[in-house]
Amino acid sequence: MNLKEVVKRAETGPLMEANDFLMKRVATSVIKLQKEYSIKWDGKTLVNLDDDLADRCWAAGKELLLQTGVYSMNSRRVIEFSSEEVEQALRFAPSRIPVGQGKEATTVYHRQVEDPRPPFVFGGPFNADVHESMFVKLNEAFAQERLIDCLLFPGYLKELDGLMIRPGSGLSSRAAVLYGQWAREAVRRAGRPGMAICGHAVMALNEIACTSEEWGLRQSDPRAMVLISELQVDDVTMSRTVYYQDYGCPIYMAFTPLVGGYGGGPDGTAIIAAASFIAAIMMGGEIVHIGPQHIKYKQQTNNHSLFLGSLANQAVARNSHIIATTSHTTAGRPGSDQYPYEFSALALAVVPSGSNLTGPRPAEPLGFNDVSPLMARLFAEVGQAAARLTCEQAAPIVEALYQKYKDRLTFEEAPQGQPFEALYDLDTLTPTQEHQALYEEVKAELVRLGVPLT
Amino acid sequence: MATAEEIYARMQTSIQEYDDAAAVAAAKEAVAAGLDPVEAVEKGFAGAIRELGEAFDRMEIFLPQLVMAADAMKAGMAVLEEAMATSGGTLEKKGLVVLGTVEGDIHDIGKTVVGAMLQANGYDVHDLGVDVPSTRFIQTAQDLNAHIIALSALLSTTMLYQRDVVELLRNKGLADKYFVIIGGAPVTQQWADEIGADAYALHAVQAVSVLNERQAEWKR
Repeated sequence: MNLKEVVKRAETGPLMEANDFLMKRVATSVIKLQKEYSIKWDGKTLVNLDDDLADRCWAAGKELLLQTGVYSMNSRRVIEFSSEEVEQALRFAPSRIPVGQGKEATTVYHRQVEDPRPPFVFGGPFNADVHESMFVKLNEAFAQERLIDCLLFPGYLKELDGLMIRPGSGLSSRAAVLYGQWAREAVRRAGRPGMAICGHAVMALNEIACTSEEWGLRQSDPRAMVLISELQVDDVTMSRTVYYQDYGCPIYMAFTPLVGGYGGGPDGTAIIAAASFIAAIMMGGEIVHIGPQHIKYKQQTNNHSLFLGSLANQAVARNSHIIATTSHTTAGRPGSDQYPYEFSALALAVVPSGSNLTGPRPAEPLGFNDVSPLMARLFAEVGQAAARLTCEQAAPIVEALYQKYKDRLTFEEAPQGQPFEALYDLDTLTPTQEHQALYEEVKAELVRLGVPLT
Repeated sequence: MATAEEIYARMQTSIQEYDDAAAVAAAKEAVAAGLDPVEAVEKGFAGAIRELGEAFDRMEIFLPQLVMAADAMKAGMAVLEEAMATSGGTLEKKGLVVLGTVEGDIHDIGKTVVGAMLQANGYDVHDLGVDVPSTRFIQTAQDLNAHIIALSALLSTTMLYQRDVVELLRNKGLADKYFVIIGGAPVTQQWADEIGADAYALHAVQAVSVLNERQAEWKR
């Protein structure tokens, strides 16, 4: 099954209202499958240690996708798949994807549960709002972190020349061009001119204006698409996927299952997550990103999301060779110790579960430049250490870290932190003494808790 | 014939079991028994849906259940409203909200949660869906004689359409007529202040409490 067939089915599949798709197809099927496959969270576990549960979650997710299909929000038609098509797509899904060029050429790969190989690290501003005056410096500071394999989403240019950017406008096309130029300039300045840049310039079709082999994002750079919760896709995403696939870019496909939404709790939502991993492959994805959302919390390090992340990744890692990566968003912000404790907890839950790493970033709402390259270094280091742990070894550390921040999960309660320009010396692009001290202090505490950091 | 208490119990059960046919049947029974519709709403539907709203907040039930309960209540309320209209009265609701996700933004769930929570708390919600042009919010609010316009934006690049709705209302001289509340992942109180929105809510529960607390302002 190829993308040509997918776009055709978006025009010919069964016609229905979105609400009927979500309520009658998704919610109803999840409730039924959750019972049938006994997918139940015990209310305590943060890192799944039950292999059979992971396998049942995968089977339920596959069945869910066959029952629901993917909803095309614009045509209001359902893109349906047969069991044979799904099996074939999974058989031919890539387990390795080359990205980047020259000395920076590298490979993103499928990881298995408790895979000793270090996770691939997508790190960068991760679509935080980045001010145009800080765009190159901030991305250069990320790119100079050698443990980051691919510069991730160099940041939303929310404003240009003091004006807010309207999606699809001429101003947003200009922003997309500058995004490509400035991101490439940043990796060049960092001495990594061929470094892969995972791009997602603006939320409209003119995003493709960031593409240029000479000055912008290249064929060797992954391009991000985002499916809409749950199991939905819009025309802009489909159009971008078609264009970038033909252009030859690796397709980085994200989805954001909502705990408390149409899947119910973390257990039912894990079934939707498994279905979405497969849906992403069916829709042309090659690297698949899970970014769990939560009806109450905006970050991804709450107890539900930790469990969901570990279970869904294990389901995928044990039963397919899909290249998976997990998004890390936090309540605490850079400059606070809660920020690294949160992303470390999630990294320790998902890396032994078979995931690669994407992040970190505080959850929205964000001010400009609310990210830290130094903390991205620690994130990558924790990821490497996590690959040396089994799920069973990681579980108590995740629990200990969770205890540190569990009472400060909301935006109001979490520490507000500081933006990049307050955490770094902008002339030397090095962390301030205070920020460096925080890094050392948190690292020592992580070691004390049993994280095998070198 | 069933007693009033038995009918109220059936109305409550219909909401607790998300059963719109049962809600309609119980409401018809209330009308046939000559019960006061206002009292029937309060003793039959309102308490049950409020409890479900609280259960949703505690994550004991989830979005599908909340939506189904809100739909059941809507179906039952339609019967009681019709009965009131026939007798020349009206069933007063808390407030009428025109709700939607702004232009260029196709994110649905956050807005749906807000709509269901508002309905569960007695508001009449007119959901315009996603990718709604700024002028349509205003036109619909005028057509329905709404009290509140609720604008959701999930992307930092679509927030500016919240500003446009507020600006259009000002330009049309309607700024004092409608209470504008905004929300969505990237939205802040600071943004609400900057564009002149009346209120901001971080999440659905807060949207309900803000509107409840500021009733005097939107009932102006």
